[in-house]
Amino acid sequence: MKRPLVILTVFYGLGIIFTSLMWINFWIITLIAGVIFVGLVLCRRKNGMFLILVLFLALLLGYLNMKNSWVLSNCHLCKLVVYKDNSMYRLDGFIANQPEFKNNHLWFILRVRQMQLNELRYRCCGEVLVKMDFEQKFNYGDNLTLTGNLNRPPSFGNNQSYRDFLARQNIYLIMPIKNKRQIIRQEKISGARLIRSCFGLRVYLEQVISQYLSPVPSSILAAMVLGQKRSIPWLVNDSMVKSGTVHILVVSGFNVGIVAFVVNLLLKILRFGRKVRIILTAICLLIYCLITGATNPVIRATVMGLVFLAAYFVKRDPDIYNSLVSAALFILVINPKQLFDIGFQLSFGSVLAIVYFYPKLKALIHLESCKIRMLKFIAEGCLVSLSAWMGTLLIIALNFRIISLVTVLANILIVPLATLITLCGFILVLFGLICPNLAHLFSLPTTTLITLLLNINAVLIKLPYAYIYF
Amino acid sequence: MFNFTNEEKKVILFILGLALCGLVLNNLVKVNCAVERMVYPAIQLTKLDINKVSLAELVATKCVSMKLAQRILEYRNSRKELSSLEELKEIKGIGDQRYEKLKGLFFI
Repeated sequence: MKRPLVILTVFYGLGIIFTSLMWINFWIITLIAGVIFVGLVLCRRKNGMFLILVLFLALLLGYLNMKNSWVLSNCHLCKLVVYKDNSMYRLDGFIANQPEFKNNHLWFILRVRQMQLNELRYRCCGEVLVKMDFEQKFNYGDNLTLTGNLNRPPSFGNNQSYRDFLARQNIYLIMPIKNKRQIIRQEKISGARLIRSCFGLRVYLEQVISQYLSPVPSSILAAMVLGQKRSIPWLVNDSMVKSGTVHILVVSGFNVGIVAFVVNLLLKILRFGRKVRIILTAICLLIYCLITGATNPVIRATVMGLVFLAAYFVKRDPDIYNSLVSAALFILVINPKQLFDIGFQLSFGSVLAIVYFYPKLKALIHLESCKIRMLKFIAEGCLVSLSAWMGTLLIIALNFRIISLVTVLANILIVPLATLITLCGFILVLFGLICPNLAHLFSLPTTTLITLLLNINAVLIKLPYAYIYF
Repeated sequence: MFNFTNEEKKVILFILGLALCGLVLNNLVKVNCAVERMVYPAIQLTKLDINKVSLAELVATKCVSMKLAQRILEYRNSRKELSSLEELKEIKGIGDQRYEKLKGLFFI
């Protein structure tokens, strides 16, 4: 076995799952983990025993990390809020993400530093989701003082409620803002300068895209290139969910691959050395990850990309399973609750299914022996789509109660188009930045391709039994 | 079966030990951190004390212009402090309509 990280991550993940199945005191588990650690030190010369104890310790660490993630600090905002009353709270803090205008509301996360209730002011920590009924220009890092009620997010009793979704992101409260008088903007700016610059660049790139394309194509391209889904019309999103092609609207490994390839190529043309090229490409990947908002699929793709680059750096063969689980481990160590997030499950499930099933299916139908290149290309596309479909079918069916039978066909037709659109999008953005006069050349083909994609999707979901709700 | 070298085992032990210590310390900090409380009587929620309000806070209410805010502060400073909100009506630029708006923003 050459993949120790895979088995370690599996045990760590099992530890996280056990937290929801068993309720054991944090300190009892810590004591057991401490004893195992001492045992590890003593048994370090016995290979078998050492491995068993390492795996068991990984399991307990998963359990402890998950339990610890549910423990809120004594100065956390949640512990100072009185529920089910209409008290007015005054919060001082800064905006921790790029505000988004969605469904006629401006949404952003406020990282709170101080809270005031009547005449008492506390230093506190925690994050609040702010929902404003009007549009106002805010950016990441802006310092605000907000006054208003604090509500718990709604829960409709489903397995995957909105409250749980926000809790997985460590957000437990929502503050609705209805009037501009509830906001006082401070002049000071907080937050990391790098993140602020990346968000600024994203806003600028979105403007570049919307400058050259009409609203619907620009919203789709912004989702595909920059991971910004907020402007996508509901109808488009819904039709793509039905055809099982909504994944093309998410920034994923393909986009990260394009960024890595383009940066590497440019640096190669400029005659940079191999090691410098790898380091600069890694930095660009991290910046792209920040620009796109560092969602689960982007973090997965970026960590995988970084593992691959690290392997090339030390002249070793990269292993896809190791890179995939290192991405999973990275996310789960930072926030173990993400294991129960549908986005996380879909992202890793689809990649794992492609990596595992695709070579097996390829060998099963003896695709290598096929002489016609075009047929081989189409068959490969089919197998990748089929593998991804197999990996995500259960997760989608259980969570969204939909089975899309047209998925494989839709992916065969739409994924190559989406690939072309993404490439055109990157070129459009690049020329929009460097040479705006030439960018017009790429806007028309991009619009045509997006229109074609939408039409194909619309035709496919009209087929009989294209999708089944149950 | 994995065959770890002695050095690899030491690294694994170090990382796992560090992770365990980190988790325990993090939990201890979360559970034992005390809330710092301080009385802050200058501003009542949603309403500002007209006798203590600063120029920036006045302008931030967006109900008065910079000029009017300066006039309010000048008026307040000339009288040391206001005894009732009605006195605001004596300031040039504050009529009944604006007074009704300001009444909801300030207290004495």
